[in-house]
Amino acid sequence: MTETLFYRLPWQSSAVYPGAHPGQMIGAGQLFKRHDPLVASPDPRRIDLRASVLDPFATYRVRVYQQQSTVNIYLLADMSASMGYADKKQTLLQFLQAAANSAFNYGDKFGFIGCNEHIEHRWILPASQQSGRAPALLKQLERHRFTGTANGLQHAAAFLPSRRSLVFLLSDCHFPLSQLRNLLGSLQGHDVIPLVLWNQDEYATLPNWGLISFQDMENNATRTLFMRPALRQKLIAAYQQRQLDLKHMFRAFGSEPLFITERYSTQTINRHLQQRGA
Amino acid sequence: MNLAVDTQWILSGLLLALLPLFNNGMRVSPAPWLTLIPADKLSMFVVCCLRLCAVAAIAGLVLGMAGLHRTEQSRERIGHGAHIVLLLDRSSSMDNSFAGRAPNGAEESKAAAARRLLTDFVKQRQNDLIGVAEYSTSPLFVMPLTENKNAVQAAIAATATPALGFTHVSKGLGMALSFFQQQPVTGSRIVLLVSDGAAAIDHDSELKLRHWFKQQQVRLYWIFLRTAGSPGIFDKPEDSRDDNAQAMPELYLHQFFLGLGSPYQAYEAESPDALKQAIADINRLENLPMHYVERIPKQDLSATCYSMASLLLLVLLGVKFCEVKR
Repeated sequence: MTETLFYRLPWQSSAVYPGAHPGQMIGAGQLFKRHDPLVASPDPRRIDLRASVLDPFATYRVRVYQQQSTVNIYLLADMSASMGYADKKQTLLQFLQAAANSAFNYGDKFGFIGCNEHIEHRWILPASQQSGRAPALLKQLERHRFTGTANGLQHAAAFLPSRRSLVFLLSDCHFPLSQLRNLLGSLQGHDVIPLVLWNQDEYATLPNWGLISFQDMENNATRTLFMRPALRQKLIAAYQQRQLDLKHMFRAFGSEPLFITERYSTQTINRHLQQRGA
Repeated sequence: MNLAVDTQWILSGLLLALLPLFNNGMRVSPAPWLTLIPADKLSMFVVCCLRLCAVAAIAGLVLGMAGLHRTEQSRERIGHGAHIVLLLDRSSSMDNSFAGRAPNGAEESKAAAARRLLTDFVKQRQNDLIGVAEYSTSPLFVMPLTENKNAVQAAIAATATPALGFTHVSKGLGMALSFFQQQPVTGSRIVLLVSDGAAAIDHDSELKLRHWFKQQQVRLYWIFLRTAGSPGIFDKPEDSRDDNAQAMPELYLHQFFLGLGSPYQAYEAESPDALKQAIADINRLENLPMHYVERIPKQDLSATCYSMASLLLLVLLGVKFCEVKR
C-alpha cells in the first residue's frame, strides 16, 4: 500500500477540467469569485438580487464560483550514473510509485521524463490518467542500469506542456551549478519542487583513518584519499557548502529544495509539501 | 659504479614496472561526483609514494632475477709497504723445536712459531703485496703476490701439514724471485727466507741467482732458525778441513748472499722471541711509499635488489591492510 502525497498548489491551475486544486476556471465550487452578467453566465439560480438592484446599468448579476481544476504532475527524474549510488534508485522508484498513485487519486494527469545523456523516448511518459502505464514504467526502470551524465535535463522543458504544471525535480544535483541554473531557467513556467537525493555514505559515514580509492560513477576518474579526521571534516564541510549553494540557487528561482539524505519516506515529503502550501 | 646483469632478456620485464602507473591495485569505491571531494595534497603525495614503491618493488624483483651485479674494478692506491715473498723452509727439521726435539706440549715447533709470528706480521702489513713460496726437495708455489691478507694467512696456516724431506734452497730462491717478474717496480721488494738449515748451491744456480737478484732489485732477509747445537751462520770453522760448502752450508750460503750485491740482512734466531725480534726489525725497516692497484671483486647486487623489493612489498602489504573496506 503506497502512501499518498498531499500536494497542494499555492497557485491556480488553468486547466479546464474539474479536479481537486484551485483553478482559474469558474464553475461548480464553494469559493465565491465574482459577479458576472446573466448573459455571460446564464444560470438564473445564482442571480444575486442585491447586486442586481445596486447595479447602475440595471442588469442581472450572477454569482460565479471558482472551479476546482486538475493539474498536470510531472516527475522529471535524473537518470545519470550517479543516481545509481546506494539506494537512490530505490528512492526514485518509490517516489515514482507514490507520485503516480497520488496523481490518480486526485484525478490529475501524471507524466514522467527520465533524462541521462539525452532524453530517450522509452523513458518518457506523457501526462495521462492511465493508471496502468506507471507500473509498467516502474518495472522497466527496475531492470535498467543508470549510466551517463545528466545533460539531458537541459532539454526536458521541451517535453513539458506550455501550461503551468507541477514538476517534481528528482536529482542528486551532482552537476555544475551553471547547468542547474540553465535547467531552472528553462523550467520557470512551471511550479518546480526540487527533491535532492543524497546519501549519508557519500560523505558522513566515511572512516577517520585509512586509504580509500574513489571512482567517479560518471566519468570513471579515480582519486585515492588518505583519510584522516581533518580531511573527513573538510569533506563534510564541502558537502555542506554544496547544500548551501544549491539552496541559494533553488531559492533564486522560487523553489525550496528538500534534501533527502536518509531512507525514502513519504511523510518527510508530505511535510515539505505542506510547509510549502502554507 | 659499473653495473651489469647476467641475463639481458629478463630486463624486458622492467616494462612490468610501469603497471602500477596505470592501476593502483586498490579496491575502488563508487563516488557519485568526484568534483565535490576537496583536493588534498597529502593524499596525492601518499599515492605518488605508493606508486613509486610499487614501481621500485617490481623493478627490484626484475633486476634481482636478471642478476644485477657490480663488475670487478681496480683502484689505484698509494701506500707505505713492500712486495714481500715469504719463502718458507718445509724440511722436516722445521717440525722440531728449537731444542732439536720433537715438540711436546711445553715448547712449540720452529714451524709453528714461524707460522704464528708470520701471521701476526701479515696482519700488521695492511698495504703490502705478499706472496708465499715454499721449498723442500723442490720449490712449491703457494700464493702469488696478492693484497688479499686472508688468502696469505690461509697459505701460512697451510704449512701446518707435515713437512717433507730435503732442503733445496736455490730452487726455492729462484721461485721466490720469479714472483717479481711482470710486476712494476714500486716500493721495496723483499724475499723473506725463513729456514732452519741451508744447502750448498751449485755453480750454475749461483750465477743465475746473482743475475736475478740484480735484475729484480730484491732485498733479502734471512731468518735462520738455529737449532741448539747446530752450526750457525756466523760460526767460523774450527778446523780448516771443514771449511767447505758441504760441511758448513749455512756459512757458505751467508757468504754467497753477502756477495750478491743487493741489500741483505741475516738474523739468527735461536728462540721464538728472537724470531719475533727479527720480524719486528723487518716490519720497521720496510716501509717505503709504493704505488699499487687494488682490485675490488665483482659484487652481486641481486640479494640487495630482492631485500629492497621485499621491504617495499611489505610496506605495500601494510598499506593494503590500511585500505578501507566499504
